[in-house]
Amino acid sequence: MNAKKEHKPVDRRKFIQNGMRLTLGASLVGVTGLASLKLSANDYVWQLDPFKCVYCGRCADYCVLTPSAVKCVHAYDLCGYCDLCGGYLKPDANALSTAAENQLCPTAAIKRKFVEDPYFEYEIEEDLCIGCAKCVEGCSSFGNGSLHLQVRHDLCVNCNECSIARVCPADAFERVPVSSPYKIKGDFQAENNNPDPA
Amino acid sequence: MKFRKLVNIVLVVLALGIAIIIARDFVMNRAGKVIENPYAFDVSEYAKVSADEILYEEEKVLQLRVAEPKGIAFHQGTLFVIADSSLLQMNLQGQLLKETKLEASPTAIAVDDLVWLGMKNQVVCLNFDGQEVERWENYGDRSVITSLAVSPDFVFVADAGNRLVYQCKKNGELVRQIGEKDEQKAVPGFVVPSPYFDIALSEEGYLWAVNPGRHSLENFNAEGALRTSWTSSSVKTEGFSGCCNPAHMTIMRENAFVTSEKGIVRVKIYDQHGKYQGVVAAPNQFEEVAHAPDVCVDENGRVILLDFDRKQVRIFKPKERGNS
Repeated sequence: MNAKKEHKPVDRRKFIQNGMRLTLGASLVGVTGLASLKLSANDYVWQLDPFKCVYCGRCADYCVLTPSAVKCVHAYDLCGYCDLCGGYLKPDANALSTAAENQLCPTAAIKRKFVEDPYFEYEIEEDLCIGCAKCVEGCSSFGNGSLHLQVRHDLCVNCNECSIARVCPADAFERVPVSSPYKIKGDFQAENNNPDPA
Repeated sequence: MKFRKLVNIVLVVLALGIAIIIARDFVMNRAGKVIENPYAFDVSEYAKVSADEILYEEEKVLQLRVAEPKGIAFHQGTLFVIADSSLLQMNLQGQLLKETKLEASPTAIAVDDLVWLGMKNQVVCLNFDGQEVERWENYGDRSVITSLAVSPDFVFVADAGNRLVYQCKKNGELVRQIGEKDEQKAVPGFVVPSPYFDIALSEEGYLWAVNPGRHSLENFNAEGALRTSWTSSSVKTEGFSGCCNPAHMTIMRENAFVTSEKGIVRVKIYDQHGKYQGVVAAPNQFEEVAHAPDVCVDENGRVILLDFDRKQVRIFKPKERGNS
């Protein structure tokens, strides 16, 4: 028995057609792969873990945006509403007042509102906040740590490689699913079922 | 030819420049590299304590083999430490005398002839063998018991959640609530922003309670009315700073106060009128990021600290005169 196959000569037209089909198929697979990669990349956004944050100040300086997309947010359910707020007042403040020289925030982005003696509410004015974490350190050192930083996704441009994450000394930046883009302290998120801290 | 050489030189210089910029960026900005923080919250200046102000020296350290220490008390030569879900009884040499397993993690302790434990919102009493003697009704979900003080007739329960001190008979019967805001009786009310709300009894049996949100210590008479108070608010060593200090407090002989602070962690002594006397343990004797240690005293005037971060019982004795 002769097992040898008979080789048919391939004409030039057929060869070009096959080549075209193969190239087209490969291109389509490639484009589909790239598109799906891009889609899955968009399913994740950058966020920082407030429990890892060491208040180094780099969030203010290293974001591609000016001012930074990282802002201070306030977990009201953790706050003590203190008159002697360590996040609002300078440690050596000469009075417990809203006078500029007593404020810790370099841009006066925290608003202090009287509630009832001796309680005050502290609200972040995001347009002024530069994400320097000075108040976060004051609040965490002396208070309950209710002030903390978060990447605000209405501002963040979701760079492929976050320039803050690259220099974060605490490795606090991570990719999180777009369905739960914030890492808010306290029960704020759970209670309100609202992923946006605004 | 000359032009090509010039172009080559320019290209090499450019390449070198780019390489230097990349290398500099890599070295200066890499993660973990310590660089100056222009927004630093710097309280290091206030953490410095002059050597003249330090009145005590560390005598002994007892290492605890526990995950999470919670509180400490001293009674007749024995240390009582609550940690994890256990009550440890140990002598001052660090020898474990007895360990009692508890059904939950306690939050406060006081000792007389019995061991009184705060279990978040409930008071439980054990004898020294670890057997349960009393279990009171709980004070509700909002309650967070942070401190207990016991006199011959009463148990005082500090509830940070409800911002009250309960004066109870030893069977749990509530005699009165102390510290409720009452403008007519000039009681300002306790301001307790976080679960740091300590109480102690003076030598005469009067209640002293920390009002942490006001940097005050308040004294109440037998009827629960405000008797006196003192306040010391300053970031400097002689005062209390932040939102809730002193975090812990105890009373030693001659009704002097031993206070422990968070934020700038330090342990200090004030006389019976609230006048600053000096420092037991300075900030540099604790971890860089530390919790305020719980405090108690022995009959010889030694100050005993429960260091939550190092998981140690640290015993400080008064410095001898002339021994700086």
